[in-house]
Amino acid sequence: MATIGTPVRRREDFRFLTGGGTYTDDINRPGQLYAYILRSQHAHARIGGIDTAPAQRSSGVVAVYTGQDMTADGVGGLPCGWQIHSKDGSPMAEPPHPVLAVDRVRYVGDPVAVVIADTLALARDAAELVNVNYAEEPAAIDPVAALQPGAPQVNSEASGNLCYDWQLGDLAAVESAFAKATRIVRLDLANNRLVPNAMEPRAAIGEFNRATGEYTLYTTSQNPHVIRLLMGAFVLHIPEARLRVVAPDVGGGFGSKIYHYPEEAIVTWAAGKVHRPVKWTAERSESFISDAHGRDHVTHVELALDAQGKFLALKVSTVANLGAYLSTFAPAIPTYLYGTLLAGTYTTPAIYCETKAVFTNTVPIDAYRGAGRPEATFVLERIVDLAADEIGMDPAELRRRNFIPKDAYPYQTPVALQYDSGDYAATLELALKAADYQGFESRRREAMGRGKLRGIGIATYIEACGIAPSAVVGSLGARAGLYESAEVRVHPTGSVSVLTGTHSHGQGHETTFSQLVADTFGIPIDNVEIVHGDTDKIPYGMGTYGSRSIAVGGTAIVKAMDKVIAKGRKIAAHLLEAAEADVEFKDGKFTVAGTDRSRTLGEVALTAYVPHNYPIDELEPGLDETAFYDPKNFTFPSGAYIAEVEIDLETGQVAVVNFTASDDFGRIINPLIVAGQVHGGLAQGIGQALLEGCVYDKASGQLLTGSYNDYAMPRADDLPTFALSTNTTLCTHNPLGVKGCGEAGAIGAPAAITNALVDALKPLGVRHLDMPATSEKLWRTIQQHRAPIAAE
Amino acid sequence: MQKTVSLTVNGKPVSATVEGRTLLVQLLREQLGLTGTHVGCDTSQCGACVVHVDGEAVKACTLLAVQADGHSVLTIEGVATGDTLHPMQEAFRNNHALQCGFCTPGMVMSALDLVKNNPNPTEREIREYLEGNLCRCTGYHNIVLAIAEGAAVMRGEPAPNVYGTAAE
Amino acid sequence: MEMTGEFRIPAPRQRVWEGLNDPEVLKQCIPGCQALEKVSDTEFNGRVVASVGPVRATFGGKVRLSDLDPPQSYTISGEGSGGVAGFAKGGAKVNLAEDGAATLLTYAAQAQIGGKLAQVGSRLIDGVARKMANDFFGQFAAVMVPEQPAAAPAVERARVAAEAAPPVPPPHPMSTRLPPAVWVTGLAVIIILLLYFFTR
Repeated sequence: MATIGTPVRRREDFRFLTGGGTYTDDINRPGQLYAYILRSQHAHARIGGIDTAPAQRSSGVVAVYTGQDMTADGVGGLPCGWQIHSKDGSPMAEPPHPVLAVDRVRYVGDPVAVVIADTLALARDAAELVNVNYAEEPAAIDPVAALQPGAPQVNSEASGNLCYDWQLGDLAAVESAFAKATRIVRLDLANNRLVPNAMEPRAAIGEFNRATGEYTLYTTSQNPHVIRLLMGAFVLHIPEARLRVVAPDVGGGFGSKIYHYPEEAIVTWAAGKVHRPVKWTAERSESFISDAHGRDHVTHVELALDAQGKFLALKVSTVANLGAYLSTFAPAIPTYLYGTLLAGTYTTPAIYCETKAVFTNTVPIDAYRGAGRPEATFVLERIVDLAADEIGMDPAELRRRNFIPKDAYPYQTPVALQYDSGDYAATLELALKAADYQGFESRRREAMGRGKLRGIGIATYIEACGIAPSAVVGSLGARAGLYESAEVRVHPTGSVSVLTGTHSHGQGHETTFSQLVADTFGIPIDNVEIVHGDTDKIPYGMGTYGSRSIAVGGTAIVKAMDKVIAKGRKIAAHLLEAAEADVEFKDGKFTVAGTDRSRTLGEVALTAYVPHNYPIDELEPGLDETAFYDPKNFTFPSGAYIAEVEIDLETGQVAVVNFTASDDFGRIINPLIVAGQVHGGLAQGIGQALLEGCVYDKASGQLLTGSYNDYAMPRADDLPTFALSTNTTLCTHNPLGVKGCGEAGAIGAPAAITNALVDALKPLGVRHLDMPATSEKLWRTIQQHRAPIAAE
Repeated sequence: MQKTVSLTVNGKPVSATVEGRTLLVQLLREQLGLTGTHVGCDTSQCGACVVHVDGEAVKACTLLAVQADGHSVLTIEGVATGDTLHPMQEAFRNNHALQCGFCTPGMVMSALDLVKNNPNPTEREIREYLEGNLCRCTGYHNIVLAIAEGAAVMRGEPAPNVYGTAAE
Repeated sequence: MEMTGEFRIPAPRQRVWEGLNDPEVLKQCIPGCQALEKVSDTEFNGRVVASVGPVRATFGGKVRLSDLDPPQSYTISGEGSGGVAGFAKGGAKVNLAEDGAATLLTYAAQAQIGGKLAQVGSRLIDGVARKMANDFFGQFAAVMVPEQPAAAPAVERARVAAEAAPPVPPPHPMSTRLPPAVWVTGLAVIIILLLYFFTR
């Protein structure tokens, strides 16, 4: 029975629903010690000295280490995986990133020392006794202010706090188009800083086996091989063969568990020192000041239009905050995952983007669900909506006039990407119909009667995912390949193990990948096992992020299965005494075409492992194939989202009353899982638009939104029931026709919500609202705009 | 300041020696090995650690282990009957109401508490009741569907089967 | 944060001044005060144990007095560290005025908090500060005038300066969520540190 395209219930659910999941913190190793990490309470300070002696003497303490200890032992700094070049061709500033701070702390949360003790409580008690002599210095917190002359200097290697000043696109073409425009629309906006907040806090256990010299790291990671490479090669100098990285069940990541974090290196290194396993688990308040944050852009955008509303050119200038150090993939986010997306779904012929990336005394910033693409979508969809308002055109109509037509593929954008497929107009029409866009004005009037300002907002998006063609990203500065691997191991009796380099942190790979295998091999899903997350088991793979798992990892599985089938045909031809060319594989059987003579996959597998009657001169025994797939292009999911909101005139309380999402994800393997991905992305996007915002005290650099008291996570009663639909065009360059769906909701929702809010407030003359549009902000906005009306 | 506590966990009597500062969730996870109860925050807001104490939903991070002395605790490990999932667990599965699974045990325990007090909750009541449980993966959409389905089945009604997955 | 306030203490000014400079008196009035020593005429070191629920921590602080004008006014500045729980630093100008047989104490304090205290407590601190100050002066008044019942109140009119003072919005629904007991410890400590500032 074909399972692809059907809502198969998840195979992982039984264990998660019965408390049987194994997350990193659920693991305890014999003889394990506990690490407590002492962190800087200052945003910027020189370390005059650290006295660890009283802590060393404290009850139950096994060791206390500082940055000096690690440096003296030859431990390297945390590497950055992407190098960006500035407009002038110079490479980005790349300051060292010590695992534990050595002479200076650069953000509240910067790790300073580690106390290792018999219990966590004893380690924490002893940490109270570590005396750090700080000499406080002024901090650079606001990214725009950090670029001003005389701002406090975060890293001496980055003069003026500038990491790079990057550009993309043809400025001359843009200027010339602007000169001819009938209208130019301008907007200043910000993309609010977010904390990813996967519900599972990060954790790591380091272990060292003296007998074999092998290190093991259990960690909350989306990509164990990446951690093994970065930590082994650059930080601890442990050869791959002696370093095993295991990422068991991972409780959400959203990007924040891609990076190589200091704690992973600390526990692994310390385990080698104390010869006992060392465990660290973040407290939530520690997560807030140690997990990489997301977004934080300040942007000026200008859009030039002709008299018919056609977009002539787009010009974008952004200041992007990087935090105090370069996180693993940070430089790529506000550049190649941002500027390249500014064509969106439109035919804008000339686009120019420049990004100044700036260091500040705040937590490092890196990819968070969507990573650059939500920022690009917000810029573009806000300026398009504003343009519609300024020229007095329906925002849906303005979009229609500028969509890339469905017969224009492959479509080359002016910002480096080549889209392979899509039908943006049809997707928008689907959403408009589902949202009853036509009937909105009567709903607006009805709401006004109840004291509510009702608004509707559209956002379309495109994302480049299925990351990524290695040679392309290499030419753009990536220091890694971004292919994916798979091994398909058919066992002697016909059950199958699939070893994949991707890693699920909630996406249900054990189900989706099993569907692929079950359908291709014609075997029950229960006969398929998916293995991931352990570098000792799986082939070298790059992990899960950038909506890549099905498009890149899934394709690697397909290629490995193709190899299995090709070999199986040879074996079956031998068994069936037929020509290989006459043997076809279908419904789990190798059949001689046009006959009923066949062998099942299980029979062929048994023959491969018990090769008594076997073409041993031509074929090796076994039925176990590995494939690496390097994608030919990015994939380009797209969609149209429509939000409908109501704002209470008296309180500013906002309700998302309808949310309609129409997406094009290419072929869908499991609609249940895809819907879940969209829901979750939408929740994070709506959270960004309405609730979430990471706030630092601009003078002291203290994080003010450092717990769930002050950082407003979306809750069930903040969100609506979502109306989803899909409009499918297949990806043209992978065999499954899949595009990926993991980030879509977070990319499209912030602009849709903000457009709806601005639409609701338009009668008051509101032109733009920065996120998060909290009830308080809305209430103040209403008060400010009402006053002049009342005075008239 | 060590103290021995005796309590019933998932129907079985257990005893353990704890410190005065040991939290119930630490006792469950670290001493009794019941790692299905999770710790997702340190401010008693995420709800990943919800268990039932004497039949009432409690955040196990807000209760000292010594306070549970003599009481009866139900954790996620004690909800299914053997390999047969409780209707609420089954409903979560049918409706894809979990992704990473980290908040799930707390969600299920809260859902059971809701349905005990309100056997036929509306969507709004479900959403409001989940105030104390954070989920970062699902956007709550499917959790709300699941709780409605679980409640229906517990009332003896057929599953709404929104996604067409209930029957296999 | 900035906080100003005034208290009427039913004791003569000279006695209030002496009380505010007497470590033994202060020790009785600061909740959880373990040690308070006068290092010099213008310096105190103190240690306070604060405990709420399962959390218990020791906080150490040192303060310096300046602009001394006995028995009328002084300026106090200092810093305190709660170890991994965070730190506080700041200062206050304290004035004592005669008010019949009683004394009117007014203060204007500024404090900056850091680390976990700031991370989780910034929003809650003002209300707790008011309550703690009230408790302290209630006890201080009782110690100054032992024949009166301890409940005899110091009159408290503390005001916490609101930033920029825009219209007060209606409470966000989020604000009804339970404040975590765990953090109150840290808050109590910063308040105690503030008390150091404006009492010595």
